[in-house]
Amino acid sequence: MTAALVAEGVRKSYGDVTALDGVSLEIDPGEVFGLVGPNGAGKTTLVRALTGTTEVEGEISVLGSAPDRVEKSQIGLLPQSFSPAGRLTARELARQYAGLYDEARDPDAVLADVGIDGETAEQWYETLSGGQQRRVCVAIALVNDPDVLFLDEPTTGIDPAGRRALWGLLEDLASGGTTVLLTSHSMAEVERLSDRVGFLCDGRLAARGPPRELVESHGGRSRLLFETDASPTTLDVPGIGYDVSARNGHLVVEDVGPREIGDVVAAFENQGVEFESLTWKQPDLEDVYLELTGTSFEEAER
Amino acid sequence: MTRLGRISAEFTASWHAFLRRRTAVFFTFFFPAIIVVIFGALVQTQPTGGGLFAEPKGYYIAGYLAVVVLFTPLSRVGSTVARYREGRRFEKLATTPLTRVEWLLAQALVNVVVIGVAALLLLALSILVTGTNIPATPATLLVIPFVALGVVLFCGLGAIIGRIADSQDGVIAASNAIALPLLFLSETFVTPDLLPAWFRPALGFSPLTYVARGIRAVTYADATTVALPNLAAVVVLAVAFFVAGAYAVPRTD
Repeated sequence: MTAALVAEGVRKSYGDVTALDGVSLEIDPGEVFGLVGPNGAGKTTLVRALTGTTEVEGEISVLGSAPDRVEKSQIGLLPQSFSPAGRLTARELARQYAGLYDEARDPDAVLADVGIDGETAEQWYETLSGGQQRRVCVAIALVNDPDVLFLDEPTTGIDPAGRRALWGLLEDLASGGTTVLLTSHSMAEVERLSDRVGFLCDGRLAARGPPRELVESHGGRSRLLFETDASPTTLDVPGIGYDVSARNGHLVVEDVGPREIGDVVAAFENQGVEFESLTWKQPDLEDVYLELTGTSFEEAER
Repeated sequence: MTRLGRISAEFTASWHAFLRRRTAVFFTFFFPAIIVVIFGALVQTQPTGGGLFAEPKGYYIAGYLAVVVLFTPLSRVGSTVARYREGRRFEKLATTPLTRVEWLLAQALVNVVVIGVAALLLLALSILVTGTNIPATPATLLVIPFVALGVVLFCGLGAIIGRIADSQDGVIAASNAIALPLLFLSETFVTPDLLPAWFRPALGFSPLTYVARGIRAVTYADATTVALPNLAAVVVLAVAFFVAGAYAVPRTD
């Protein structure tokens, strides 16, 4: 199978700042690839490189062509911080961008897909809420029914219900064969939508793979957190020994399986440790992010 | 969608966006009105000699038109480029079939319509306020291509300014810095004989000079033979500035 997107040794610098430092990746047709990383890690620069809107060193191929040669109707882009004309209505904006293609979807249908219809579609863009504005921007990116879709932080500012509606839409697109490159700071979003995730740190792809595999290899152990003022350093549970650490008002017991939670709680009570609440947390992509970006648990909990 | 369809889509969007910025619309049309009132009614001309406005009233029609042909597209297109860049719209458009030439052409057409209407208003006001006469001959219709091509020319220059300036404030400052000298050193309000002899050849470097000379030839001097060479010059300059402007429209970061 020919990859939909290929980047090989992509480098980009802005003056002395290296934005991309030899990034290589391949994304298959119909795959949803989530790109995550800290601010300034190079995510937007990589999207720009793949869409041909910035010049880079290295090889890039989009649907088998160089980014500036690819048939424009086959790609859709939602740039980060994209802001269309404020005094056009949502419907006018969708029509404007639909009018740039030989064939485009019905603008009203695309707007309806992202939850913009009725009177909302007749409102000026600048009078819409931040979440509605972002939905209109997503509609603009979808109006040409692209084969490859680049979404740079598509759900920023969208409320939870709207976000879930967009996730459903993107899942439908992916199941229909659309290749999606998604950047986001929401690990839940990336974990839910992505077939594979790439972690970009300091311009390099530090890790990539299916979310579950990344969590297994980089996510660390499960944790049981007790909110308490006590500070024991060991905990005796019959048959099992646990190391206990105190972090920011919590006692943290690591590598506790769900069936062992009751034993650990009982052990605490037997030792006379009082606690306000407890939380059991399995490792997830956020832990992978913290591990790969070198952010400590303590820093993240602050 | 054809090239025409893409230009039409961009033109329609830009046209509506302009019409809904009431302040911009008001001052676009207030600007020529105030120019005529100040120069035509308050300062007036003194054909007997002396002062800045020593030529007959009809001489300055070309100057009035030059004001709107120069200032409005220069600042509007420059600001539009800055606004598009700040909104990451060029980055989006770069991934659509719309080319830079098509984008600038759509913007230029909006400006041609806007400034065409403003020029009509200005001519009507000039006749009403100053009582000047404009010859009613077929040659007078050459004002239309002079205005339209002049607008295209300065849309191209506006795009270049928009590319170079890094903000809308920067565009306004740069537009003013370029437009003011051009306005007074292009045979518009200041006649060549008021300038030092050594400087007069420099008037030929201003593209506005050919617009002003051409319009004056058909609205005041009734000299079509003078108008046509200037029209040819304006055509060449409009094409050159438009191409340079289109090339300057940002497509990458």
